[in-house]
Amino acid sequence: MSVGIIGILYGLGTLLFMFSGMPIAFALGSIAVLFMFIFMPASSLDTVTLNVYEEMANITLLSVPLFILKGAAIGKSRAGADLYLAIHAWMHKIPGGLGIANVFASALFAAMSGSSPATCSAIGSAGIPEMRARGYSPRFAAGIIAAGGTLGILLPPSIVMILFSVAAEQSLGRLFLAGIGPGILMVVLFSGYAAFRYKKEYKEALDTYNQGGRKSAYLEAMELTLYDKFRLLPRVVPFVTLLVGVMVALYGGFATPSETAGLGGILALCLIALIYRMWRPSQLKPILSGTLKESTMLMFIIGMSLLYSYVMSYLHISQSAAEAIVALSLSKWALLSVILLMVVVLGFFLPPVSIILMTAPIILPPLKAAGFDLIWFGVVMTIVMEMGLIHPPVGLNIFVIKNIAPDIPLKDIIWGVIPFVGLMMFAVLLICLFPGIATWFPDMIYGMSGK
Amino acid sequence: MSHGVELESRQPSLTPQIGGVLGMLLSWQTKVNGYVLFVSMLALLVACLVLTLSVVMRYFLKLPTDWQDEVSVFLLIGAVFMCGAFVQSERGHIGISALEGFFSPAANRVRLLFCDITSLAFCTFFTYKTWSMLHEAIVEGQTTSSTWGPPLWIPYGLMFAGMTLLCLQMLLQILIALKTRGAAN
Amino acid sequence: AEPVTLKISHQFPGGTIDAGDFRDRLCRRFAAEIEKRSGGALKGTVYAGSSLMKTNAQFSALRKGALDMSLVPLNYAGGEVPETNIGLMPGMVTSYEQAAKWKNAEVGKALSEVLANKGVIIVSWIWQAGGVASRTTPIVDPSDAKGLKIRGGSKEMDMVLKEAGAAVLDMPSNEIYAAMQTGALDAAMTSSTSLISFRLEEVAKHLTTGRGKTYWFMLEPLMISKSVFDQLPKAQQDLIMTVGAEMEKFALEQAKADDQAVAAVYQKSGGKAYDLSDASVKKWQAIARDTAWKNYGEKSESCARILKLAEKLL
Ligand code: NA
Ligand code: NA
Repeated sequence: MSVGIIGILYGLGTLLFMFSGMPIAFALGSIAVLFMFIFMPASSLDTVTLNVYEEMANITLLSVPLFILKGAAIGKSRAGADLYLAIHAWMHKIPGGLGIANVFASALFAAMSGSSPATCSAIGSAGIPEMRARGYSPRFAAGIIAAGGTLGILLPPSIVMILFSVAAEQSLGRLFLAGIGPGILMVVLFSGYAAFRYKKEYKEALDTYNQGGRKSAYLEAMELTLYDKFRLLPRVVPFVTLLVGVMVALYGGFATPSETAGLGGILALCLIALIYRMWRPSQLKPILSGTLKESTMLMFIIGMSLLYSYVMSYLHISQSAAEAIVALSLSKWALLSVILLMVVVLGFFLPPVSIILMTAPIILPPLKAAGFDLIWFGVVMTIVMEMGLIHPPVGLNIFVIKNIAPDIPLKDIIWGVIPFVGLMMFAVLLICLFPGIATWFPDMIYGMSGK
Repeated sequence: MSHGVELESRQPSLTPQIGGVLGMLLSWQTKVNGYVLFVSMLALLVACLVLTLSVVMRYFLKLPTDWQDEVSVFLLIGAVFMCGAFVQSERGHIGISALEGFFSPAANRVRLLFCDITSLAFCTFFTYKTWSMLHEAIVEGQTTSSTWGPPLWIPYGLMFAGMTLLCLQMLLQILIALKTRGAAN
Repeated sequence: AEPVTLKISHQFPGGTIDAGDFRDRLCRRFAAEIEKRSGGALKGTVYAGSSLMKTNAQFSALRKGALDMSLVPLNYAGGEVPETNIGLMPGMVTSYEQAAKWKNAEVGKALSEVLANKGVIIVSWIWQAGGVASRTTPIVDPSDAKGLKIRGGSKEMDMVLKEAGAAVLDMPSNEIYAAMQTGALDAAMTSSTSLISFRLEEVAKHLTTGRGKTYWFMLEPLMISKSVFDQLPKAQQDLIMTVGAEMEKFALEQAKADDQAVAAVYQKSGGKAYDLSDASVKKWQAIARDTAWKNYGEKSESCARILKLAEKLL
């Protein structure tokens, strides 16, 4: 059987298993083992668990639960609510102020965490209830958080960029810096959309009310004096302390990136113990059990998707696709388009880590030969892979949101993220037209040499 | 509007009223999951502490550590795998439920049963292979290849125990679904 | 008959047969050569950058026949087969000339025997020197390491560094760059080729090279699974071993070239490169003898025997 047909079967089988409603983790594992059984030597079945263990037993990957804990300590204590109250007091005059605040909070958290689902979880566990309480539609709230979370791998530190820089033999420092411009671009785009969408929803709520319908929380006016506003300001202290503490530990050279993850968790717990007197086991239990529940769900999916991608790699499916594209000998931009399209398709099924490992060795040499700056491409590819994180069937951020807000139907979450997928495509287009968005900053710091 | 902890107050899971042997097994399983969850919470905290401690020891006491990453990995791997059954008991392993609306209740029951049985089959296979791996690690005395070199039966054992619990949890859920004709669960 | 395709896995950055990390190129050359000489009956597919499986899973997969071939630092298997720790024993090998003797010496035979019992065969003996990238002060003599935060990268190297008074850090190799940038790490040791691909010259200004003489030599052989090998016809087995042996010459040239190249990279980026003198190597060797060597020899009778045979080549 040709690799192409096996690849199509693998894709179809995966869709069938996933849409049957099986848990994603077990669906990925089952289809992988099934294909191993049919198409791979029996001995490969013996290494299934070893592969999963070796992929997972890595402190870089396992820092995800620690990032989630840090976020949960803030999000599930009054620290999160207070933070949002203060932000809301200051930004409620701006249309979509709270939504914009969430985008900024995601960007800040992204600078402390190397993973997108963790960013999504940290900001979402307080952000989604807050936005909904203030009238935002579940769809809108979920979209903002899912999209904001993707910044986790675009802004440094980033697990995905680390892998890319090794595969592409490019400077990690340059790559990290190259993510900042596009990161800011996305913050601007997301914020703009949040304001636009807010106005639309506000108007709808107003129309409904004027026609005698129910009064949405959007219409609850918040009149605060300047004194009130200043009185609320100290409530951002816990979050800012955490942010500063983690940044100093990480960028000041006190801790390695993975140590920073643990340090951040402890710091967050200490802060809520000191400021909100939350130290009793009964108070900490919801935070810890919530973290474990979410981390377990997520790590099972990540572990199994690594098994899934092992089979895909062994059967040479993604490599063959990449090789076929290279063999087309397309023109420069056609080559780039087809490659990005392939990354989008792989993004239907695979998390960014797997996509990079499997395709980078094949697609990078022809891209380099075609004259593309690989640092620039790394950023573009990261954004395209971020799209995969928020679109189904396998979209880790979507699952995180489903876990934070189980009552929002998956359909609503998906409709909520689609405008953001559009914005990301727009961002990719902009970065293609104006490569300086990505390359200007690293070129300024490191100079043009050595490229 | 309520803030803070109240936001998270967990709704009591919809445990069907089941008597007899199944009911007893269910209450045992619930208890075991409770204990495991508690220990896993401690593991999560200890992992954070270990990573923090290594920073503190290096900077203030000038004592280097080379074991913190591996201790944390073992604790976190253990917590993740051991909590698999607890998460399954709350149906927390997320799946795509988009097609639910297209089926009749009877068809949905069959679909769910198919999902559970396939998941169980996969997890049983995985558990069996984890056992082989654990067995080999014990017999050969395998350790990690790091400086500290702790034995590998520790994480493998945690993985095996967690997967075993997960399989039992799934089996129980399938049996209950069969008995109550999928009314609850 | 159906052509046999051998899957060759490694952890290094992928490139083409003519450009990139020499360890990747070696695998690709090997694959091309066996295909050519077998008339297409035997082929190889290279999986670069751990794109097939994680580095640590490779040795175990080779043993079980789940992976056909792999190019990996031998000491990565140290947790499974303690004897393999000899592959990165500080001060045990100090020059390429000495390294080249291992294959046909008693120690090579003994090591091959141990590996064969575990189901693995060495096809190509590849040795590589390494160096130290340091951001604060150069590390030439053991006394220079005192008080610095260093990632030794192997069990044995860490023992030596500890004895020298360094604070040894354990971290995944993908975190080295970030840790060195922030100052969480002062220095890291690895092969010359990896020093180039990690691009540490952007964050570290001092390089101790492996040019000429050094205490840091690593055995990273190209290996084949014994169960896979045994299933092949005799002619193909011979072909694999012949081509494997031929690759050793290529590896030697490239490893030496990278030792020079990495020095040039640091000098070009405004850093400094330091070479080790005989006396410095002797100092490191003396510490290693009392710590890492001793520890290794005490592990088992088999380890003690290999240590003794290895010392014959000093
Ligand atoms: Na980040
Ligand atoms: Na996706």
